[in-house]
Amino acid sequence: MSEAVSVAGPKPWIDPSAVPFLQINNVTKKFGEFTSVSNVSLEIYKGEIFCLLGGSGCGKSTLLRMLSGFEDLTSGQIIIDGQDQAGIAPYNRPTNMMFQSYALFPHMTVEKNIAYGLKRDGLPRAEVATRVTDILSLVQMGAFAARKPHQLSGGQRQRVALARALVKKPKLLLLDEPMGALDKKLREETQFELIKIQESLGVTFVVVTHDQQEAMTLSSRIGVMTAGKIVQVGTPREIYEYPQNRFVADFIGSVNIFEGRIAEDGESHVVVACPEAGLGIYVPHSISGVIGQKVAVAVRPEKMQISKEDLGDLRNKLSGTIDEIAYLGDSSVYQIRLSSGKRVRVNQSNLFRSEESSLNYGDRVNLGWAGNAGIVVTS
Amino acid sequence: MSSLPLGSKIGALLGRLGLKGRILVIAIPTVWLLVFFLIPFLVVAKISFSEAAIARPPYLPIVEWVDGFLRVNLNFGNYLFLLEDPLYVAAYLGSVKIAGVATIIALLIGYPMAYLIARSAPDRRNLLLMLVVLPFWTSFLLRVYAWIGFLKSNGVINNLLLSVGIIDEPLVMLQTDFAVYVGIVYTYLPFMILPLYANLVKLDEAYLEASADLGARPVTTFLTVTVPLSLSGIIAGCMLVFIPAVGEFVIPALLGGPDTLMIGQVLWNEFFSNRDWPVASSVAIVMLFVLVIPIMLLRWAQSAGEGEAR
Repeated sequence: MSEAVSVAGPKPWIDPSAVPFLQINNVTKKFGEFTSVSNVSLEIYKGEIFCLLGGSGCGKSTLLRMLSGFEDLTSGQIIIDGQDQAGIAPYNRPTNMMFQSYALFPHMTVEKNIAYGLKRDGLPRAEVATRVTDILSLVQMGAFAARKPHQLSGGQRQRVALARALVKKPKLLLLDEPMGALDKKLREETQFELIKIQESLGVTFVVVTHDQQEAMTLSSRIGVMTAGKIVQVGTPREIYEYPQNRFVADFIGSVNIFEGRIAEDGESHVVVACPEAGLGIYVPHSISGVIGQKVAVAVRPEKMQISKEDLGDLRNKLSGTIDEIAYLGDSSVYQIRLSSGKRVRVNQSNLFRSEESSLNYGDRVNLGWAGNAGIVVTS
Repeated sequence: MSSLPLGSKIGALLGRLGLKGRILVIAIPTVWLLVFFLIPFLVVAKISFSEAAIARPPYLPIVEWVDGFLRVNLNFGNYLFLLEDPLYVAAYLGSVKIAGVATIIALLIGYPMAYLIARSAPDRRNLLLMLVVLPFWTSFLLRVYAWIGFLKSNGVINNLLLSVGIIDEPLVMLQTDFAVYVGIVYTYLPFMILPLYANLVKLDEAYLEASADLGARPVTTFLTVTVPLSLSGIIAGCMLVFIPAVGEFVIPALLGGPDTLMIGQVLWNEFFSNRDWPVASSVAIVMLFVLVIPIMLLRWAQSAGEGEAR
């Protein structure tokens, strides 16, 4: 790649002087009466891997298809690298898309599939050949150039689809569930490879996925979508550790939600009175509310501890009975029933090798979490 | 044994006779083809090698027992006659030309129609397909007669054009090659549309989007993606139009003029006017080979392309 890739600083989204590469301004898409994408605004910076994460039917794919030009906007504006994309046909856009089904042309060889886009640009034959060879070696598919798509495995097709979308050096690469058709093991390997390729080319990626683990692994930032709206944008860590609302907390990873009312609003903390848990939950001061306001406290299962012994000086302590145990190898998941009947999920890493668990069904256990482990989320 | 259902009893019986269900299933169409295709073909082939005679039937036997001699009379004269008389070669070429041109016209009309039907809303497709098949509900002969009413000099089309003032005197359309093309294209168009539709309806829209995404304009996408991917449908549709059109007799007889030369008419004349069964049979046999060779070539091309279409 001859052109120098100028990627803005490590976190361009917190730099007020950084200019977004892709601007999505108040975009709405309606299909008849149904609103698929509702007033979405996003700013994505050069060199990012931005994941649109959400369940099926949340509008993430429609948003991607509007970026590629396959769907018209009902209202709003999409600006790529300073250029408004309104009225620009898909074949004239500086974007390329990797389709969920890959959509490799079945009547063409791998080589011809990849050369297809370059030929449409009228590049000289010699340049087409070198670029095809280069991209094939980048995705490690050089040996399969003469094969037809039906002679390839799922993972190989995925690489060819990626190569075909990348070979035109698009300003923006759109990936629709890029790992959707791969099995788990292959998916994990490919995720890291995709990041490596993206870093070496510097192309900005927008990835649509329903797989939160994939989004966490790949992305610089995640936009969580539901019902056509973006509910939170942030780095994977922000999304996981500081979910802004219940939906995000629940959608990303698993979470225990305790409903309650603010009982005490101190200098550095609040206490949420929670009848379900039978205690006032201590949370660091992340909200400002009035006494008696209804809130919910979210606590991740892996941030809880359980033991038959006393848990010492943990800020929040309860007790309950073990209802269910799921042994996952690296960790175990315990369902613990509190005296109120509420069930709490606790993950414990299996740090030591042992044949028998020290905790069994029906055991009475103490459980607790540190003062800063919980977070208040609005409903 | 008595507790077994009837089906397995029959199965066991057939098994003892060395017949399996699968063989039985294949056997029925095989016997059908044998009785109604191969045997008539052999009869026609036999007659084509005999000598015409004023007799009943109007040809001499091939195998004779005369004075203790078994005489086999194979008469190749009929075939040589086809080569000698330029009429026959011209008729073959004329048929292939008319059928070929009509096939191309049917493809040009049928492809957009099939494409539109395949791309229309699923609940409207069946209605549109039914409209394509609707003409089959009336007799083929009646429909061809109806075209006479349209094309004749004081027919619907001429009257309309005269009344509008586009023409001053009636166009001669009936009893020309033009009328034959109209008749063939009209009659066989559904045979072109149906296989094309069946093919195009399966065409994944993602391929077209991928092509557009990679920078291809709609025309380029059509030529480089849509057409190659629907090639098997194009071949099937063309064969279904071309093969019956070559041997077509009714349409050129009713709509064609004295200049229209098609092998179907020649065959008819030989058979019914000249009562020369042997020459008529040899015309039929040669026509079969004229058709079989391109069919084999197309089949071969189709199976070569089969792997790609998957």
